[in-house]
Amino acid sequence: MSAGSVPSGYEVNDPGYPIPQENYLTNSKGILSWAFTLDHKRIGMMYLVGVCSAFLLGGLLAIGIRLHLFAPDGILFNNGLFKWLAPDKAPNDIYNQVFTLHGAIMVFLFIIPSVPAALGNFLVPVMLGAKDVAFPRLNLSSFYLWVCGAVFFVMALLASGLDTGWTFYTPYSTTTDSSVILATTGAFVLGFSSIFTGLNFIVTINTMRPPGMTWFRMPLFLWATYSTSIIQVLATPVLGITLLLLIAERTMHIGIFDPEYNGDPVTFQHFFWFYSHPAVYIMILPAFGIISELISVHSHKRIFGYRFIAYSSIAIALLSFIVWGHHMFTSGMSPITTIIFSALTFSVSVPSAIKVFNWVATMYKGSISLTTPMVYAISFIFLFTIGGLTGLHLGTLATDLHLHDTYFVVAHFHYVMVGGTVVAFLGGVFHWWPKMVGKMYSELGGKISAAFVFFGFNLTFLPQFVLGSRGMPRRYATYDPEFAALHQMSTYGSLILGVGLFVALFVLLVSLFKGKKAPANPWGGATLEWNCTSPPPFYNFDRPPVVGDPYEFGNIEWDAESDRYVKVEPKRQIVPSEKPADSPAHASE
Amino acid sequence: MTHMAPATMSLLGDKTASKLSFFPESASSFSGESDWVFWFISIVCILFFIPISVALFGFAWKYKKGKGEKAESQIDHNTTLELVWSIGPSFLLVVMFYFGAANYLNHRSVPEGAYEIGVDAYKWGWGMNYGRGVIHPELHIVAGEPTKLTMTSKDVIHSLYIPAFRVKKDVVPGRYNYMWFKASGPSEKVKTDEECAQLAAKDKEENRSWDYDERQFTPDGYRFYDLYCAEYCGTNHSQMQTVVVVHETQAELDAWIKKYSTRGDEDPAAYGAKLYERRGCKSCHSLDGTRLVGPSYKGSFGTTRDLVGGGQVKVDENYVRESILNPKAKVAIQQGVAYQPVMPSYKGQLSDDDIYSLVEFIKSLGDASASSTPAAESQDTAAETPAEASSETAK
Repeated sequence: MSAGSVPSGYEVNDPGYPIPQENYLTNSKGILSWAFTLDHKRIGMMYLVGVCSAFLLGGLLAIGIRLHLFAPDGILFNNGLFKWLAPDKAPNDIYNQVFTLHGAIMVFLFIIPSVPAALGNFLVPVMLGAKDVAFPRLNLSSFYLWVCGAVFFVMALLASGLDTGWTFYTPYSTTTDSSVILATTGAFVLGFSSIFTGLNFIVTINTMRPPGMTWFRMPLFLWATYSTSIIQVLATPVLGITLLLLIAERTMHIGIFDPEYNGDPVTFQHFFWFYSHPAVYIMILPAFGIISELISVHSHKRIFGYRFIAYSSIAIALLSFIVWGHHMFTSGMSPITTIIFSALTFSVSVPSAIKVFNWVATMYKGSISLTTPMVYAISFIFLFTIGGLTGLHLGTLATDLHLHDTYFVVAHFHYVMVGGTVVAFLGGVFHWWPKMVGKMYSELGGKISAAFVFFGFNLTFLPQFVLGSRGMPRRYATYDPEFAALHQMSTYGSLILGVGLFVALFVLLVSLFKGKKAPANPWGGATLEWNCTSPPPFYNFDRPPVVGDPYEFGNIEWDAESDRYVKVEPKRQIVPSEKPADSPAHASE
Repeated sequence: MTHMAPATMSLLGDKTASKLSFFPESASSFSGESDWVFWFISIVCILFFIPISVALFGFAWKYKKGKGEKAESQIDHNTTLELVWSIGPSFLLVVMFYFGAANYLNHRSVPEGAYEIGVDAYKWGWGMNYGRGVIHPELHIVAGEPTKLTMTSKDVIHSLYIPAFRVKKDVVPGRYNYMWFKASGPSEKVKTDEECAQLAAKDKEENRSWDYDERQFTPDGYRFYDLYCAEYCGTNHSQMQTVVVVHETQAELDAWIKKYSTRGDEDPAAYGAKLYERRGCKSCHSLDGTRLVGPSYKGSFGTTRDLVGGGQVKVDENYVRESILNPKAKVAIQQGVAYQPVMPSYKGQLSDDDIYSLVEFIKSLGDASASSTPAAESQDTAAETPAEASSETAK
């Protein structure tokens, strides 16, 4: 509906506000209207479908890993079916390929693009009150690069698999006969997708903030996205260089990484982690942004320590570039380098801790609604805190010598990446789902999914801390019988976690068909995305929204009659007789 | 899957109860310090984690309100408090860093006069070099004496990890990495040499190799500590394990080394069988016809092999010798599927007599050239057997 037909006295949150006939989902039809869309919201939705498919594939591989590890000699891949599928591969080889692809798919295809590319694409312009990102065509091309990278990964899987681990360590990766070149080309292409997204967001946030939105009146999700984008633009090129050098080493034996040609394999690790450590923060920083929004909105209280949270995002982004060496404490680096990296690593824990304290303080004396997104946000804080604190054991040199490359590390980074990023991603999807598709989902179903995810996740990964400290190395296809009981607990947990994720998917899919129509502001948020209809119209806002404080909840009131949050300030007279004729219809829906 | 149930049940059993502790046995001069630092960090973490969790869940419970109710407060910052919780924990971090770094420096300063052992890592096994031509997969050291390992890899990166000692160091091709440690006490000898010899004879009869996990003592009758490869290195990464045995005195260690120094007047084929177990052949070459990473030895001698890049070769003394010293020269194809050229060279690692013993051992597993049947026919039988064997395994 064009801006002209909106009744002049109404705010978008008012019960009487007419729902536009058209929104970004319906304003054009057909597959081509999606394939060539320049609309950031549609690109975001396509990313959402894409990354969730990758998550499903990576998740199935994870279940495969856990089922195989149910017994010390392995179970799943010893099955005759796999002998038939891959006659020249031993069960160990299949396991090695499965854990490699699990890692590579989860990192490159799912976690890195999950929050920034899927949710970020949808939200960044809307939170800025803008019509689109700065470079819509670049945005679409970044999505197609992602698809292209995904195709390379699937080709690698179908060709001869990949068995290097997602880290591609040399000289293993230069000598194995699996599809290293296909996979690294895929990762290279995905790197460009990531750079384009980052570049786009930096320009968008720098140039398209509306009048009145100063840096310190930006929603914290935008601060997090901005920090992430800085890392994406600065670090990802190093990954590209590294992967090109790896391909050159494999094909031309240029002698940089392979000792057989006088190269140094540890150099590769420096190159690789120079990108991949900052990449850890590409994965977690946007999750921090989501949690800052969720905790504040569902506590109906101003975020505590806005400036500390905002600065800590930037601090993390910068510090992330100088701690990569902590992945290599046992590699034989000189003692002084090792000690410096350990010291720097401790410094990065401070800004993360600040955020946790601020989130908890935000809940103090709030008005907490235990909605599905809030339940996810609370479990994020709990799980991320465990993940963060166990990082201290790994940053400390004496203990890292024991724990490095054991299941302790596996448990630690899953607590951060799954308990942290994935749980925040789910919370974010549940939080913005009404905005994205215009439908409410079953609150009960959402909370059941959160409970399964929380319980299943802990059962999967808590035993792995013990496995690691007792000396179980990671990436083992078989193991000593003494570790069996803990591995079995972990496998049971992974199945429960899987059920939880399927429940979440089911709840969201059902809402598409059976969900109640979502009001513009179902949670009582104060950021600008709640000032457009759900789902937003093609150009997001019928009228340029008035920029206010993103965490000012004083003028947002619950209106029980119309089941939605409305703005009460400035005081205006809403005359019932002026309500358009169709309003009772959508109120009753 | 039913046979897995007992492992879960045994959580309650006496034997595994002790194994549910948070750490493996503490058996080196580093392990006590490392565990102490670990618990220190853990306690600090718990002291932070409990209040955070209590506040998190407590606030969620206490301030849960109905829709539309206003928050009690809109306080949005408290600079003093925020500075305290930003800067305060940093002091604890400095303490953690200090303990970690101080202990780490001990790991890196090898004491003078440490007993030196060379380590060669390869896919997928360990060769501990005790000098005088004695290379053995087990690591044998002396209690209370510092031992220095000088380590290198023949192929990809490995990592030597002894959980009971809390030490780990990557083993990198093309360079030497060092590590040292001091074991705190000797390993118990739980079986006499005679008992061990009987078990070994029984294994030989049943055509199986020594099962460390099942027996929990070495072929010499000692209790042991696990030694793992901790850096992913391919197919049999998880089987790249060996054991550490700690002797009470240097004399006892020397006696053990002497025992493995030469063949003496042993039958070469029998000695070859020991080298097969000891020097890593068995991780890639089966004796029962199963296809592993490399071709099986069973009935291979005297047959003709297809080679990668065309051509054929007869498996004779010269081919076996060449394959040991220069494995990548002639890589075989079996049933259309090429073997990966992953075997490291054993040049300088095996004496001429060792190679002779291995050749005799392989010959003893079936010699096609010695039988009256034509070579071509026996090759067919040899080709069929692995196929049958592998389909058996698949079932």
